[in-house]
Amino acid sequence: MTPEAVVFYIFAVLTVGSAAVVVLARSLIYSAFSLLFTFFGVAGLYLLLGADFLAATQLLVYVGGILVLLLFGVMLTHKLYDLDLRSETHQRIPGAVIAAGLLILLVCPRLSIGRFTFEGLFHRADWAVKAGHVLAPTTREIGQLFMGRFLLPFEASSILLLVALIGAALIVRRRKDA
Amino acid sequence: MNSDAMTLDAALANSARFLPELVLTGALLLVVLVDATRARWRDAVNFSLTAASLLGAAFLCTRLDVASDRTLWEGMVVLDPIARFFKILLIGASFLVLVMFRRSRELAGLVMSEMYALLLAVTLSNLLLAAANDIAMLYLALEMVSITSYVMVSYMKGDRLSNEAGLKYILFGAVSTGVMLYGLSLLYGMTGTTSIPGIQEHLASGISDGTRWALYVIALLIFAGFGFKTAAAPFHFWCPDVYQGAPTPVTAFLSVAPKAAGFAVMMRFFFSGLATEAAQWDLMPTINWQPMLIIVSVLTMTIGNIAALTQTNMKRLLAYSSIAHAGYMLMGVVAASKNGARGMMVYLLAYVFMNLGAFLVVTLIHYHDGTFDLREYPGLYRRAPLLTVAMAIFLLSLMGIPPLVGFMGKLYVFAAIVESGPIWFAVVGAVNAAIAAYYYARVLKTMIIDAGNEDKPPVALPPLEYAWIVVLVAANVLPLLFWSQIEGWTIDSLRMYAGR
Amino acid sequence: MIGIHHYLTVSAALFCLGLLGVLTRRNAVNVLMGIELILNSANINLVAFSRFNDTARAMDGQLFAVFVVVIAAAEVAVALAIVLTLYRLKRTPNLDEATTLKG
Repeated sequence: MTPEAVVFYIFAVLTVGSAAVVVLARSLIYSAFSLLFTFFGVAGLYLLLGADFLAATQLLVYVGGILVLLLFGVMLTHKLYDLDLRSETHQRIPGAVIAAGLLILLVCPRLSIGRFTFEGLFHRADWAVKAGHVLAPTTREIGQLFMGRFLLPFEASSILLLVALIGAALIVRRRKDA
Repeated sequence: MNSDAMTLDAALANSARFLPELVLTGALLLVVLVDATRARWRDAVNFSLTAASLLGAAFLCTRLDVASDRTLWEGMVVLDPIARFFKILLIGASFLVLVMFRRSRELAGLVMSEMYALLLAVTLSNLLLAAANDIAMLYLALEMVSITSYVMVSYMKGDRLSNEAGLKYILFGAVSTGVMLYGLSLLYGMTGTTSIPGIQEHLASGISDGTRWALYVIALLIFAGFGFKTAAAPFHFWCPDVYQGAPTPVTAFLSVAPKAAGFAVMMRFFFSGLATEAAQWDLMPTINWQPMLIIVSVLTMTIGNIAALTQTNMKRLLAYSSIAHAGYMLMGVVAASKNGARGMMVYLLAYVFMNLGAFLVVTLIHYHDGTFDLREYPGLYRRAPLLTVAMAIFLLSLMGIPPLVGFMGKLYVFAAIVESGPIWFAVVGAVNAAIAAYYYARVLKTMIIDAGNEDKPPVALPPLEYAWIVVLVAANVLPLLFWSQIEGWTIDSLRMYAGR
Repeated sequence: MIGIHHYLTVSAALFCLGLLGVLTRRNAVNVLMGIELILNSANINLVAFSRFNDTARAMDGQLFAVFVVVIAAAEVAVALAIVLTLYRLKRTPNLDEATTLKG
């Protein structure tokens, strides 16, 4: 196996494994910390794919921001005297069936049982993929695109962040100001 | 690679055609600044600022030059007659809702400046959504509308219902748009571009069988987001709870504006992105959309109407009624023809006027009587004759009775289906309209005929609200007189951008 | 040779796990975690397709992914604000007990 393949499988297993823990663990704290590993794994996959800027953004925003927020959420919403932090699940079987079914539908490689062949969607479709370009640092290009073709979404997202700031502060503020 | 930054000249040229949005942005920032002064008059000032900017933006929209279809901001948004139609519609909806914010008992005592800021932000986002030409822009605008709506719904932060509604809304919404994003990412993978015309170009040049299957599943995933925004079955579950828990003016707004923007983008996506030839109004014949859309439309109509039959809470009743109306509007999409699209647009226009009118009456009644329960409505005819007559007009319009504007909407949509779709579908629609007539009539009967509440004082309407009621009533009644102009406007607006 | 299908499989697994979390969890914060898994899976798709595509618009995928990260952050902030406020009013973050709205 090439070194690239080894690294890929390490990150892939890390990501999917910890995601499974996030979804199946009984304790909220286990879920939250597994999410940390999931985000790290995804960042690793981005690096493998040559997206250096995005990997850094993933770590800064997801791990440094969103995960911290989620941990606050976990910590602040349990009874202070109860450290159990159990999280209950319901309707596990239908949910699992749907999720597993969808997964098979999407990724199953070509299977032939007798005369019946089934191939998951991902293998049947033609993706617009070619050999792929040479890996290079992406920051410069991303920066130019932000100021070029993606200028409008870039500016619009600043409005989004303003609204989120106003909104979050507004909802959580205790006193009703006159 | 073409990844140069935009020149200043190009930016200015783009901005010149983007004035409505820029006005709204400027107003938004001003409102936030005024709010930060913490002065006692800031709510009043911000109200006027918001109203003025909405009017200004609407006026600027009418001056937009759409003689030649073009894209702005390097292909991110489109400026074509359809975009202009929806922009005016969306800004108009925001303006009509504005006065409800002042006369809402639920919001009394809360600082309103932030709500005005949110209203401006959501209007801006709606404009971007209705004109989006790129799936990145589409998703961003969709989420901007959604997140702003989540905050608006949870505005009454001391109220448990409002927060519950907000929570249900955000969780359901985030899942729906997350699923949609997954579909969009696969669509990007299939075509190699995020630009909607580019996607259309790539798909129209021939796809294999396997790809067609994948495309169908992808479209279903993407429809999760559209279905959520327009509250179409089976993505409507959030609707009654959120409509009931949110402050009524917010509910009124949600029932109209994001829905309209959702239909606009759905139309653009399906007819432009997934059409055989761009903007030829033929959904890709290789994929059979009709069955799926018909099922969704029938489900939506029927669930909405049947659930509304037993409601006594006016907000929930109107919520289910809105769901049903989305079903009728989907009929226009099903027709997959130029007339179908026009039917949908006419219906949307009519729907804005009649739904906002109904919600305004409900808000005012709540302001005076403090109840949303239909069982406490008897005797309103005596106590508030104007209000009851207005409500009668709005409800008759919602039923689709001629010569009101609601009838025109239904007429166009049904005609489009009869012309190009399965006839039984039109019959189902008609049956649904008949079922709906029952619960609208029930409200009317309670208000007019039922006896009760003799001891309550008459309802006195302040002048501004009086005027607003008259405006909305006129909007429901008068269009028939100007029908040729309106029809001309919608036909002119039917040109959709087709290109790169 | 690691190709597009490898990455697609990882992202599909993440998506389905996220969906499972959303469908089965009662705690609102847990549902949020499921949503983040879904968003991350879509991002992996975007970046992977961007990598294996050498047209002039290959970077679109990565740009789109950056916006998704921004949106996710805004969404989580607002969601947690609502969860916190609701918790203050009701003392429970469980969705099943948010049943005042019914019907």
